[in-house]
Amino acid sequence: MDLAIETQDLTKRYGTLTAVNKLNLQVKRNTIHGFLGPNGAGKSTTIKILVGLLKPSEGTARVLGKEVHVDDADARLNIGYMPELPRFPKHLKGAELLDIYGRMYGMTQQERSEQIPKLIDIVGLKGRENDFIGKYSKGMQQRIGIAQALLNSPEVVILDEPSIGLDPVGMVEVRELVKEISKEGMTVFVSSHLLFEVEQVCTHVTIINKGVALVSDTLANVSGMLKGPAMLNVEVAELSDEVVQAIKSLPYVKETSVSGNMLNISLATGDDVRPQVSQQITQAGGVIISMNLKRQSLEDVFIQLISNQKEAKA
Amino acid sequence: MSTANPESERASPSWFNRFWAVVRYEMLWNIRKKKFIGVLIIAFVLASVQFVLPAFLDIGPNPYSAITFSAGNLSFVLFAIVIAMNSISGEYESGTIVPLLTKPVSRTMVFLGKLFAIFVVLVVTYLLLFTYSTIGGFIVYGAQSDLHLLPLAIIGDVISTFIWIAIILAAGAISRSSLLAVLMAFGLFVALTFGTSIVASFSDNPDLVNAMNYLPGSGASGTLNITTGQNITISNVTINTLASVSSGTDSIGVNLVKLALFPDANASFYYRNVLSTDPTQNIRLLYTEPLGWIVARSILVAFAYIAVFLFIAWFAFKRSQIQE
Ligand SMILES: Nc1ncnc2c1ncn2[C@@H]1O[C@H](COP(=O)(O)OP(=O)(O)OP(=O)(O)O)[C@@H](O)[C@H]1O
Ligand SMILES: [Mg+2]
Repeated sequence: MDLAIETQDLTKRYGTLTAVNKLNLQVKRNTIHGFLGPNGAGKSTTIKILVGLLKPSEGTARVLGKEVHVDDADARLNIGYMPELPRFPKHLKGAELLDIYGRMYGMTQQERSEQIPKLIDIVGLKGRENDFIGKYSKGMQQRIGIAQALLNSPEVVILDEPSIGLDPVGMVEVRELVKEISKEGMTVFVSSHLLFEVEQVCTHVTIINKGVALVSDTLANVSGMLKGPAMLNVEVAELSDEVVQAIKSLPYVKETSVSGNMLNISLATGDDVRPQVSQQITQAGGVIISMNLKRQSLEDVFIQLISNQKEAKA
Repeated sequence: MSTANPESERASPSWFNRFWAVVRYEMLWNIRKKKFIGVLIIAFVLASVQFVLPAFLDIGPNPYSAITFSAGNLSFVLFAIVIAMNSISGEYESGTIVPLLTKPVSRTMVFLGKLFAIFVVLVVTYLLLFTYSTIGGFIVYGAQSDLHLLPLAIIGDVISTFIWIAIILAAGAISRSSLLAVLMAFGLFVALTFGTSIVASFSDNPDLVNAMNYLPGSGASGTLNITTGQNITISNVTINTLASVSSGTDSIGVNLVKLALFPDANASFYYRNVLSTDPTQNIRLLYTEPLGWIVARSILVAFAYIAVFLFIAWFAFKRSQIQE
């Protein structure tokens, strides 16, 4: 199997705290692999080992088939990395930063003059590239961070929470960008704690908590696992008792409650049953104004996954 | 990004290109942070002190003012602090170490690039400072002789300053704090200065006096057996400024110049008992050594300290894990 990233029993301890615990990670080439976990799960620690900033306490990590070592300069030629909340020298201008980093990658003058304006445009910093980074907003620093991760057209791009600090438009842009670079043949490994973000871009997902990988599979398989009960909030004009009774009669409806025009339905299934519910309401004479499906948040899913794991152990 | 081509690995760029990129990164910082200006202001203030001396003291023309100029021991520490204090530790403090060390530059390359940039800043500073002191020498002390020896004076001051730069880099790489690096270097300077002045004033043990030559600093103070030079009289005591010599690492530049002028000179080191009233006990010769040996020893000692502390700095930087 052709793997872009592979770890074997990767372990990192900080004193008595085990931040990463025997992690076995496999990231296939040409995939967008989401690395999902709550705060403190060990995502950044794993990533820092992958890019050679930290030494593992135990186990090994391989990127592009080569074992990772701290301070292996050549190994980083084909890796792009965006740190979590990256900080760049404040006295440099955005374009200058990319120029200097480009020189470190050994890019020629011509390569730099082609690539840098293009990247500045892609990350939405056009017009601000000659401002000092010290004058950039948090989101702009995040954007220049994405640009520098793509500078060398790397084979593997490792992004540590790239959308933190971005405005909603920026978040969408980052998602589009990730899809785009994946089309060009790059492997993207992206950490996040936002389920919806991962759902929208990733082909594969690994979920980590307390340093332990809980699942690692294709997005489709993982989503199947994660689909839990959901809430459906329907705003119905002329909300009659008949409508409520009709809904209650559905087999996958656990509970209902009414407040004003809102009918809140608690579902016992993870499947999307909006079409059936909608049909049922309409047949009972209700007129649907809006319908809102609320899946469980990542937090809930984790609690569920973790408690499952504990029960399994017990 | 159309250049993305996963099939072709990026060719390994030359060591020199990457090193040069680091130097560029460093130099932009030095220039933009107005470091040069800060350093130069200190330099000119300190250098100007010697030009106001004639107003207070009975000093005539001195043709050796320019070539025996030295920034001086306090300035060595101050320059080292201003130029090197942020070099490594600042990179940790600002967090910029993370993107830097994930570029294809090795830590050794980064370290050498920083060192080179420091060297350039220091040399440029001293070139400007010595130019100023030479011009000032002409104005205040009349015509200046043997100006071809000026490079020796500058090289000597660069070596003397580099001891403190190496100490600051080592302290910064270990503590990852610019403030601690400065405090450690300055604390060491103060301790050494006090310690050696106590030894110099009160010890009549030749070995102990000589031992000071193996510490960074001014070393022992003695007198050269030369007759040339300018005499200054302070409170009825006449001193030949050219003949007085310090044998420590702070005086490499001045001693190199004197060695070029008087290759066969010997320096004698005396114990002066300031408390005794017995004239026979007042001044006693401790030892005499050739100026050539003083210069060679101080350079060797300086290079030993520079090598040891730079190695410590490099090793700490190379082995560090970036956790933040
Ligand atoms: N330098 C350090 N010293 C001690 N403990 C650390 C250090 N860095 C991280 N940790 C601990 O290791 C664990 C994993 O941290 P890590 O930064 O990898 O989490 P994360 O998954 O990236 O979280 P987040 O979503 O908040 O970024 C946490 O419990 C954290 O407190
Ligand atoms: Mg993190």
